Amino acid sequence: MKNTLKVQRAIVSITQDDLAKAIGVSRQTINAIESNKYVPSAVLVLKLARHFNKPVEEIFQLEEDD
Amino acid sequence: MRSLPLLPAICKWIGLVLLLPSIYLATHDLNMFATRSTGRNFTNNNLSDEIGLTGVFIGLLFLAFSRLKNEDEYTNHLRLTSLQWAVIINYTLLIVFTWILYGTAFLAVPLYNMLTVLLIFIVRFYGLVIIKSFKRN
Repeated sequence: MKNTLKVQRAIVSITQDDLAKAIGVSRQTINAIESNKYVPSAVLVLKLARHFNKPVEEIFQLEEDD
Repeated sequence: MRSLPLLPAICKWIGLVLLLPSIYLATHDLNMFATRSTGRNFTNNNLSDEIGLTGVFIGLLFLAFSRLKNEDEYTNHLRLTSLQWAVIINYTLLIVFTWILYGTAFLAVPLYNMLTVLLIFIVRFYGLVIIKSFKRN
């Protein structure tokens, strides 16, 4: 699964730290998601979508091998 | 998101403090094969190694399974993968030592094996957590 989290973050110009605090996770988690090292749970995906006020598909997309 | 059942964060420090004297006690007078004499006479068995080893086990368990300051689903994920990793490495080592050590030398293997799963887990998990905390992009 790929994501546009970094782009979304840049649009509203917030740091990984800010986003992590707003969602209630650690900065390392946001970092791992952005660098495609970790696939977040559905709960976290929905929380992120709600935070950016965008549909989930705009932030997270399936890849061919998924 | 429901996380793994873990001990409070303070237990990590309790574990560390417990570990140091316990290691001394366990290795100072290791006499695992103390023979129990006839009847219920325990007087010829010094209990310091039993107490020490129990302390080492509890210390390692506390260290391994206490919460981090910022525990979330990603640290849960790291915890579980580290545990899997530790079990695989542990048994790989066991297979290797089964083939290269014979006789009395092999007796030391189960002795160390009591601790290796937890030790490998702790080293990998805390190693990852520390490395990740420095990563930024």
